[in-house]
Amino acid sequence: MKLITKFILIYLMVSAVVLGIGGVISYYVIKDEIDKEMKWEFLERIDRATYLLEQGKRFRHHRTVDGDENLTIQKLDYFAEPRVEVSDTLIWDERLEQEELNVRVSAYRTIGDSSYYISTYGNMIESDDIREAVVQILLWILGLQVIGAVGIGFLVSGPLFKPFRNTLDRIRNFKLNEKEYLPAEKTNVKEFADLNQFVEEMTQKAVRDYKNLKEFAENASHEIQTPLAIAKGNLELLAETDLSEEQYRHVIKLEKTVKKLSRLSESLALLTKIENHEFDNDQEVNLSELVKEGIDAFREFIELNQLEVETDIQDGVIINMHPVLADIFWTNLFQNAIRHNIDQGKIKVELTEEKLRISNTGEELDSPPDELFQRFRKGNPNSESIGLGLAIIKRIADQNDLSVSYEHKNAWHHIEITLKGVKRG
Amino acid sequence: MKLLIVEDNADLLDNIVTYLEREGYICETAEDYDTAFHKIMSFTYDVVLIDLMLPGGDGLQVLREQKSVNPETGTIIISAKNSLDDKVTGLELGADDYLTKPFQLAELHARIKAVNRRNNLGGSEIVRVQEIAIHTKAREVKVDGKVVDLTPKEYDLMLYFASNKNHVLSKQTIAEHLWGDYADQLDNLDFVYQHIKNLRKKLVNAGANDYIESVYSIGYKLNTSKKVS
Repeated sequence: MKLITKFILIYLMVSAVVLGIGGVISYYVIKDEIDKEMKWEFLERIDRATYLLEQGKRFRHHRTVDGDENLTIQKLDYFAEPRVEVSDTLIWDERLEQEELNVRVSAYRTIGDSSYYISTYGNMIESDDIREAVVQILLWILGLQVIGAVGIGFLVSGPLFKPFRNTLDRIRNFKLNEKEYLPAEKTNVKEFADLNQFVEEMTQKAVRDYKNLKEFAENASHEIQTPLAIAKGNLELLAETDLSEEQYRHVIKLEKTVKKLSRLSESLALLTKIENHEFDNDQEVNLSELVKEGIDAFREFIELNQLEVETDIQDGVIINMHPVLADIFWTNLFQNAIRHNIDQGKIKVELTEEKLRISNTGEELDSPPDELFQRFRKGNPNSESIGLGLAIIKRIADQNDLSVSYEHKNAWHHIEITLKGVKRG
Repeated sequence: MKLLIVEDNADLLDNIVTYLEREGYICETAEDYDTAFHKIMSFTYDVVLIDLMLPGGDGLQVLREQKSVNPETGTIIISAKNSLDDKVTGLELGADDYLTKPFQLAELHARIKAVNRRNNLGGSEIVRVQEIAIHTKAREVKVDGKVVDLTPKEYDLMLYFASNKNHVLSKQTIAEHLWGDYADQLDNLDFVYQHIKNLRKKLVNAGANDYIESVYSIGYKLNTSKKVS
């Protein structure tokens, strides 16, 4: 629910309650006022009748004075203290055929030496009518309020909330790795200005921290190469000395470890670089040529591993990508297919305008296929691979809006890259 | 051959100098930009090794100055950054080779020889290992004047062994030399064995002695002191 909708609903709810209470009060106030007026009116009539009596006029039991049909004048045979009584009374209404609440004013008056009882009743407006009128007025007010509230709603969600929605949009489109913070936009609403200011400071800090982290990651992976070079050099010098077989085997193992460490940090540096958008200037890359040349480059390894490669490559498939990334992308894919193959296995490469599909025979997977694209996930934990190949493939694919899917079926592993919708030159 | 090694890390410098001096090179060193600058201005070297990140300046600047003072000197960049930009800039400025840390000393040595051959010997040199002669210009190996029919990889392997005579070369080192970055990714090093086996067979068939010996079947060594049978 939108904030403004919620606000309007609460406003209308409160209005309804207030109007309800106000209605009841209005009803009683109006009724009270009318009753009071009638009481004065009736008293005046009684005073008039009293005056006429004092002038010596004699009335029959029921007598109309100035058109008042309900006037009752009665001579009492006992002495009554002069007083006035006001009461409500139910009178049968012929026209409405129901009992109606009326106001009755009765007075005891002493004229000469006898007491008179003078009384009259009536109603000006029926109480139903008052209620109806009040309800009608209230409904009108409520209606106008709804119209007002909706109008305000439009106003608020339109121009008034515009800066807020702008900020929201900008936050939504904010990408940390683009290294651009969100400068505060000018607005004369204090709350929004505060918000924008906060967003500016927050994104600035986030971008700075991110940059530091990335720089650290990149520098660390570079800095580690020099000590590794020293280790490697010393191992080589050590290998030159007169070593026993056992000692030499240890040296070789260490050399391999150093090599692996170096590859690891190089791959991490590469991932960082891709994430840092250091390979952003796309160029046209002829994927068909790249794939063919890539397979040729591995010809020797394919033969040594006694693999069989089947290709179905459409000519002239062009994609827009950084050439270095395209090369790394394909090399990683193909190496993956060679590395995780079995003896005398097969590799199939299929390239069309729509997709690049590379399939290889291989052993069963132990881990769920989706996890393979995460860093340091390996099908076989003991393999020499460092477990970053597929992570790099995925990262490059993501960066270039390519979708990668993996499938394992009948001892075949398929990796498919959808080229549909990829930007072309 | 006289070398200048510009490298700020003392341990690595020590490694390189130890290895190269054993090979009979005269090694001078510079650990920062200023020293490197003065040595380049004052002396002539056959090959200069330059680390890109130096205290007090940029290795690329050292390279520029070297090229302007003495363009014939061979230059090899050593860098921790395996970055294409640096590589391209370095080679555009006239560096003869680019080596990424961590490198094998044997590899460095082979590159120094290659660069020296290209710059100072006009690319033509006959590297001799007893009765085996490697003609670098024609990329041919001759035994007693007869050409041995080698594949390009076998030729590279032979030259690599000849450049690192009497050094133990592990399969890993050899694989990296022959296949470069591709070798990184492949687990199985049996193909190194295959190539060496073929090379040995061809050399022996051509009438040469079998100088290449296996070291505990993990590494190999071109042993020139092996007794001629």
